[in-house]
Amino acid sequence: MKTDLSPRMKTALYGLMCVLLIPFVFPTWWMITSSVKPISDIFAFPPDLWPRRFDFSTYAQVFELQPFARQYWNSAYIAALVTGGTMVISSMAGYAFARIKFPFSNAIFMVVLLGLLIPSEVTIVPLFQIFLGWGMINTHWPLILVPIFGAPSVFATFVMRQFFIALPVELEEAARVDGLGRFKIFWTIALPLAKPALGAVAIFTFLHSWNLYLEPIVFLSSTQMFTLPQALTQFTDAYGGAMWNIQLAAATMTAIPVLLVFIVAQKQFVEGLAHTGLKG
Amino acid sequence: MAPVTLKSVTKSYGATPVLHGIDIDITDGEFVVLVGPSGCGKSTLLRMIAGLETITGGAIEIGGRVVNDLEPKDRDIAMVFQNYALYPHMTVATNMGFSLEHRGGSKAEIAERVQWAAGILGLTHLLDRYPGQLSGGQRQRVAMGRAIVRNPQVFLFDEPLSNLDAKLRVVMRGEIKGLHQRLGVTTVYVTHDQVEAMTMADRIVVMNGGKVEQVGAPLDLYDRPANLFVAGFIGSPSMNFIEGVVTNEGFAALDVTLPLTNSAPIGTKATYGIRPEHLTLAADGLPAKIALIEPMGSETQVTMTLGGHTITGVFRERIAARPGDTIHVRPDMNAIHLFEAATGLRIQ
Repeated sequence: MKTDLSPRMKTALYGLMCVLLIPFVFPTWWMITSSVKPISDIFAFPPDLWPRRFDFSTYAQVFELQPFARQYWNSAYIAALVTGGTMVISSMAGYAFARIKFPFSNAIFMVVLLGLLIPSEVTIVPLFQIFLGWGMINTHWPLILVPIFGAPSVFATFVMRQFFIALPVELEEAARVDGLGRFKIFWTIALPLAKPALGAVAIFTFLHSWNLYLEPIVFLSSTQMFTLPQALTQFTDAYGGAMWNIQLAAATMTAIPVLLVFIVAQKQFVEGLAHTGLKG
Repeated sequence: MAPVTLKSVTKSYGATPVLHGIDIDITDGEFVVLVGPSGCGKSTLLRMIAGLETITGGAIEIGGRVVNDLEPKDRDIAMVFQNYALYPHMTVATNMGFSLEHRGGSKAEIAERVQWAAGILGLTHLLDRYPGQLSGGQRQRVAMGRAIVRNPQVFLFDEPLSNLDAKLRVVMRGEIKGLHQRLGVTTVYVTHDQVEAMTMADRIVVMNGGKVEQVGAPLDLYDRPANLFVAGFIGSPSMNFIEGVVTNEGFAALDVTLPLTNSAPIGTKATYGIRPEHLTLAADGLPAKIALIEPMGSETQVTMTLGGHTITGVFRERIAARPGDTIHVRPDMNAIHLFEAATGLRIQ
């Protein structure tokens, strides 16, 4: 967007943005810097923006106190499976709701959307009973299946449906004339064009799965099976007090994939939106 | 190349009929334009030929084969859409070769056909670009390239020029017509622009309200419109219509009697039609008071009041008159049209 702001206004605007940035950046900065401080320096007042002493042993202790690598892997592969599964299911379901005419499609979509209105706290006990019956307690299956077929997937389906509705129908008609069937149209035309929506779905789903806390503490009981949010609460001393610097070192490592996913998928957003081959 | 035949084709959406028994015979290699106002059903008819809409009744034949239940891909047609419908994530070359690729063409064959089509349409230097990097005219050419690359039996165009500016539209009009003359493929072209229809068509099908009003060569429609609708639709500016009665002296309409040479019975209530370009300035003509004068350079368009009727005239002369002045005009006696008042059908 082109703006006609004067240099003075631009300076003021950037200044304001810098001020507004502080509440967003400061917690991350505090987390990273505190992770390499001795525990006694963390709560010093006034707080130090830059550590007076560096103690990188906190990062080693994260792996000594917990099977952190294993927990990291647990979170990573669960989030990857959930993200992949949700992208497959939501894109296909969203496409079906947007493009395929079938009886009561709108009513069915409304019923599906109702899933968003039910808080996960309400369903957690029945789900526990179901997975207990299936012998899946203290396995990762509940953490994979519940998001893929639950509220996060419903939200992703909604996002994909809205995107496919907005996709010009002529593109699909041209593909039909070109000789493509329904699935090939979805796969070669609609889905590649849905990259922006898929990017949004991927970010949302990955973050949701990566940050999942309630379900792991209900379904998992052994530290080997823990995911990262659950593992972060385990860095305590013999009296149950938090080992802040070690916990923050673990939290810093936990935040890295989230930042990476966001950076990668954000690029996907912009690229996708820039591609529009229709009339102009 | 193949003939296209529509036999009593109907279309309804639920209980609402939108096409009422369309019969059209399009001969092999012919360029037929479906023209009519918005909502007349011309695009629906084209989509039915393409197989993108189902047919409620009747039959569509392409190359002598009934295609009612065939998928678009099995009809051997190619279609150019109003908004081009180029795949934004594919290059020009991939867009053009896409249909061949999905029909099992070899890479060499696809490359050869794409090069051939690109050569015809002047797209060779654009083959590696994406649609988003092209101008409107270039996108239009790519859409045409995608259609011709497969060498189909029938081309279908759905208002392909409506997104282009006026100047480019004229250029592309010529290119499409030239392409048809070069390839000789049967073409069905939909437009709401009667100038496009007149300049491009071998035959025009004028549609209104889901019905065919008249089918004929452009000049036949211009010279002998079958009814008031066609008379008003074909020609720009539109034909002037004046309601009145046939008398011994001519055609009586409010405060004026217009000259008439026809065999209509005296007393017939009718609509008198005269095209703006068929009025000439003449000292012994009928007096008309100028309401608006629009010099166009090559001609002058005048809106005037003649015997209580507002009419338009287009004159080759430059008229040094002003609104409120009176000029004298005379209709060309060989270009007068008369339509029945009750039915709107042509009398002569």
